[in-house]
Formats: sequence, structure tokens, C-alpha cells
Amino acid sequence: MPTREFHAPSLAVSIGKLDLQNPLMTASGTCGYANEYGDFTDLTRLGAFVTKAISKTPRKGNEAYRIVETRAGMLNAIGLANIGLDAFLKDKIPILKEMGVPVIVNVPGWTTDDYVDVSARLNDEPVVGGIELNVSCPNVKSGLSFGTDPVRLFELVSAVKKVTTRAELIVKLSPNVADVAVTAKAAVDAGATALSLVNTFTAMSIDINNARPMLANGTGGLSGPAIKPIALFMTHRVYTEVAKKHNIPIIGMGGIQRWQDGVEFLLAGATGLAVGTALFLDPNIPLQILEGLRNYLARKNKTDIRQIIGSLQAPAPHD
Amino acid sequence: MPGRTRQPAGGATSSEPRIRPTPTSPRGRYVATVKENIRLCTDHYRLVLSLPRFPRSTPGQFVEIDCRDPRFAPSADHDPGPRAFDWPPPESFKGDSPVALPRPCPSDPDFNAPLAYLRRPFSLADHRIWPDGYTELDIIHRVVGRGTLLLAQMLPGQTVSLIGPLGTGFTIPQGIELACLVGGGVGIPPMLYMAKGLQQSWIKGGVGFIGAQREDLLPVTIIGPPNAPEPSRAGDPLLNVAEFKEYGYPAVITTDDGSLGMRGYVTEALSAFLEERQVQQGRLMNTIVYCCGPTAMMKATARVAAVFGVPCQVSLEQPMACGMGTCQSCVIKFRPRDLGEGAEWKYKLTCTEGPVFDSRDLVW
Repeated sequence: MPTREFHAPSLAVSIGKLDLQNPLMTASGTCGYANEYGDFTDLTRLGAFVTKAISKTPRKGNEAYRIVETRAGMLNAIGLANIGLDAFLKDKIPILKEMGVPVIVNVPGWTTDDYVDVSARLNDEPVVGGIELNVSCPNVKSGLSFGTDPVRLFELVSAVKKVTTRAELIVKLSPNVADVAVTAKAAVDAGATALSLVNTFTAMSIDINNARPMLANGTGGLSGPAIKPIALFMTHRVYTEVAKKHNIPIIGMGGIQRWQDGVEFLLAGATGLAVGTALFLDPNIPLQILEGLRNYLARKNKTDIRQIIGSLQAPAPHD
Repeated sequence: MPGRTRQPAGGATSSEPRIRPTPTSPRGRYVATVKENIRLCTDHYRLVLSLPRFPRSTPGQFVEIDCRDPRFAPSADHDPGPRAFDWPPPESFKGDSPVALPRPCPSDPDFNAPLAYLRRPFSLADHRIWPDGYTELDIIHRVVGRGTLLLAQMLPGQTVSLIGPLGTGFTIPQGIELACLVGGGVGIPPMLYMAKGLQQSWIKGGVGFIGAQREDLLPVTIIGPPNAPEPSRAGDPLLNVAEFKEYGYPAVITTDDGSLGMRGYVTEALSAFLEERQVQQGRLMNTIVYCCGPTAMMKATARVAAVFGVPCQVSLEQPMACGMGTCQSCVIKFRPRDLGEGAEWKYKLTCTEGPVFDSRDLVW
């Protein structure tokens, strides 16, 4: 192999007005509120930190058992357990400020007002760079309905858009739809400045000895390497059908565990890369992916990571 | 107000928010080398892991071990190289890698075999620290699935990734003079570490209560009573356990089928012991029960402790994905005992707020 001078490629990307030092983020629900992983990885080196879903009032969440391992992945049905907005603003925002990376807060809701109220208050917090609308949680009653109905989604995003005057408005899309490009289009038409996909797939696991579901909630959301190929397809579909022509960045996620996965998502059209379930295996995985990305770009003579985003060369379909 | 408590082996904690690992972090990611892997009985193994350094731990704390098969783990920078497709790669992506033959098998380890995906939690059975920081951790586990089977097959010299020490361990309330260490089956290991913790505290009295379904499921070393020529193996409640005897603590063994020690449940032995002590001393003010085992056994032990008015700390086990307080899956219902039965419970995380709880605070 010929030797050559090594120029460290630029890894910086932008999600709207948010400048990220690199595309690596945490995926909501897998990284706590702020510094839970501070003993295990350097959180200041992330591109952005995405918090757990923060609802207007505290939530206990579902009964145990809330998770079960499946082949190359896991099912969860946490039920959006969280400390609520007031405690988050008081206790967690100061720590997030200290981390010094862009912060994206995941916002769930049950009515349009829930989303609007929480988003408006977060929009007033300078450290919150983005609001990720959680319209796709499969584990709470009616959690999916905003995310699967393009008409309701358009109305919701339009309403939240009015109060997110400063922060980026990111809509987290559900994969539990016939065509994810339809909901993606509705979100963008309503004013979303970025899209994140995918949330977990509604799924099930059964205890055959007791003839009961493994999870107390009955069903859960499937995540991990098992969903990566589908998430990748959906990212590519949304990129080619919606995001590219509207110049809307995509935060890709779903089974990203190694740098090769990250490259696949970048080629498919993702600008940001969120690591979720893999954080449970090792909170340092985002930084390992970062190292692998850097080497890959150098091997491919790329000086800037943006050169490969969406550069997938798909062959013409056969007849 | 609960009385002031002290940690048996003092784990360092800081209230400062920690946003990156430092040499003084009380927990972290480590790579450990297998020093020994010993089969203790039918299903149980003791894995001795060595590390150049590891934070101090408290009995009751645990570690999360990556039990994915290392044979399938690609190196950090593994690159399969370009495949020879029937369409050429775009000019802009040629790079300098040689063109390779098509690979029939993807390099992702999860395609090669069904693997234990999530880390597995194990309580520490012992933690030995040398003055230069060299550390040995004992993990005693029972083979119940893919992850533990992989650990059972590990050879000395191989490495494992572990995260720890995690959770909050046992505490010793002031004024305690006698501790009953109640361990059932795979819940015995933390009791062995707790015996050491007691010995290093001001408590000088301890007695072990060790139960299992059968003799061959007891992951401890059985020795006879002092001065006995042969280990006594039939119905003798004075049997000693080497791991407790090391610290001078007697132990009572029970098996469900009577194949060793007393026939019956460990809770019956505990109940008989507490009753006798109550008769002798008139009260049990200075006594505490520490317990780990199957949930039903811990509930029964907590009931016995409650009958005698003795505090009881239990080390719980719940399915968990992370062990670090993020996934929120390992919840238990918690209601502080001083609030009374009518108060509303709330969820607590077994991984960070436990696994050790006072049984009187649990709703179960």
C-alpha cells in the first residue's frame, strides 16, 4: 500500500443552525438525562447529546418487566418514565451546559398542547439547541397516532413550529407506517428543520412456558442490530424522496454499533448518526465509531465527511 | 430519620457532575484478564479476573460483563474492503484499498452466531486489592444461558470487557453487632464478599445461612466441623463453609431435598436461629439480616426478619439492559417505611439506587 501524507478529514456537520463537531449523537432514551455515562466515556467529544424524553409532568412509566433481549437486539417498553420538565430544567440543564456540546431534548406528548407547552419552555433555554418531537413512541397509549397519521402530524408540527423560534425542530419518525416518506413529507411541509429516524419497531416476545408476553406492557419497541437494514432503507428512502430536495438534514439511527454502520447511514443520506441500544453495551461506542470514520475517510481520500453524505450510487433497477 | 450508616469497604463517590472518565472515577470501563476459571459444582463456576487497577467496591455491588463471543469480535478498524460487484465503484470512492473477492459472509459478528447481546450483571464474590493497585475480582455464576455458557468456557489469559463497580452495596447501621448472611443458590456469592466486609468493619459477629435446591448446586467449599476427621455430610447443621470459616463465621446449610445440611428452606433455619437468640437475649436489637437469592426466597426472608423486628437488606435482581442508570428497565416499587402503608410508592432503579434495598422500603 503506498504511503501518503495523512490529512485528518473534517468531521464537522450541521443540523440546521446547529454546528456539530462530528455527526455522532446519543439516541433518546438510551443515554439518560445528562451525564449518566460520564464515568465511561468523554461526553464532551460527542457531536450532540440527545436526552431522554422529557414530558410536561413526571411519569412513572410501565410495570416491570420493561426489557427483554432478542436475537441481535432488544425489546423495550419503558413507557416514557422520566422526571418531568421542571426537574429537568432545574437539575439537568446545568450539567448539560457544562458538557458544552449541542443539546437536543426529546419531547413526547399526548395532546398538541403538551408538545407546545414543553417546546415553548425549552425554546427559552439557550443550551437547548434542538427539540426532537417524539411522535413515535410505541409503548404508551396513543403514542403512535401523531406519528402514523400525516394529517395529524402536519397539524402538530405546525403548532410546535410557532413556539420553536430559536431551537431546531426535529421530528422523530416512526417506522411503523406503510411509507415513511409520507410522514416525512408532512413533517417537512409543516416546518420541521430536521428529521430523525427511525424510532423502534413495535414487536413482541413471548414466554412459551407461561403463555404470556415477556414484557408487562405486552408489546415493546425493537432496537439493535436486528433493525439496521430496515432503518437504513428508510433513511435512504426519506433522503431521496423528501430530505434531499428540501435540503433537510437527517439524523439516522437504528442498530448503529460500528463505524461501518455509520458509513452506511452516511452514504444513505444521514447527516447525523445516533447510537442507541449499543450504548448499553459500551457507552464509548460513539467515540470508537468516530475513529473508524476518520480512518475510512482518509483511505477514500476524502477531506470532508460531507463529501460522502448521500453519495450512494444505487444501480438502476432491473426490469 | 434512619441512623447514620457506614459503607463496609468505603467506595469513593463525588457529588460533582462527572462528564468524562478520570483516574479517580469510582466506576468505569475495564478490560480484565481471566486468571482462573474453576468449576465449583454442577452448574456454578468461579471466574477470577485480574486487572492492573480497579476502583474500590462495596459488598453488594456488581459488574456488567460483555458475554459476546470474542471469536466473532472484529478488530476496531476491521474493514472488509471493497467487494467485486458487477458494477464498478464510483471513481470518487476508489481510494487505495485493493479490490477483494466477494465475501460470502458479512463481517458483523451478530450474523455468525446467536450471541448474548446485552452485558450480563454479576455481583462480586470477592475483591482483592494489592498495594500497587493490582486487583482480582471473583465472579461466581451459574450457567443459565448463552452469556454464562461463554464465561464458563473462558480460558486463563483471555480477556473480557467489564463495567463497574456498579450499584449501591450493603450498609452497616450503627449499633449492629451480629449479622445474618442469608444466601440462596446463585445469591450466595455477594454474601461471601459481605462476610469479608463485615470482618473489616466493627462487627465481629456473623453467621451464614446458605441454601440451595440440592447439594450439587452449592457453589461453596464444604468442610467438616473443627477437629472432625471427615467432613460430615448428613443432616448436620454444624457443617462449615470454608469461605465463612476464613473470617471465623459459622454457617448453616440447608437443601430443599436434604442432600446436605438441614432439609428445608434457608428461611426456616434463619427463623429458628433468631428465635433461639431472642429467647437467650430477650431481644434482637443488635441484629441485622443481609440477603440475596431468588425473589421468593428474599421475600420470605424479609417476612422472617419482620416477624422478629430485625432490619433486613436484600440485594435484588431485575432484568436490565445497561446497569448504569440510563435504560430505566430495572425498576422496583419503593415506599420509604416511615411514610406508612398508605403513602404512594415510586419506582427506583435496581442498577444505581440498588441493588441493595432495605426490605421494609419495598412494595412486593
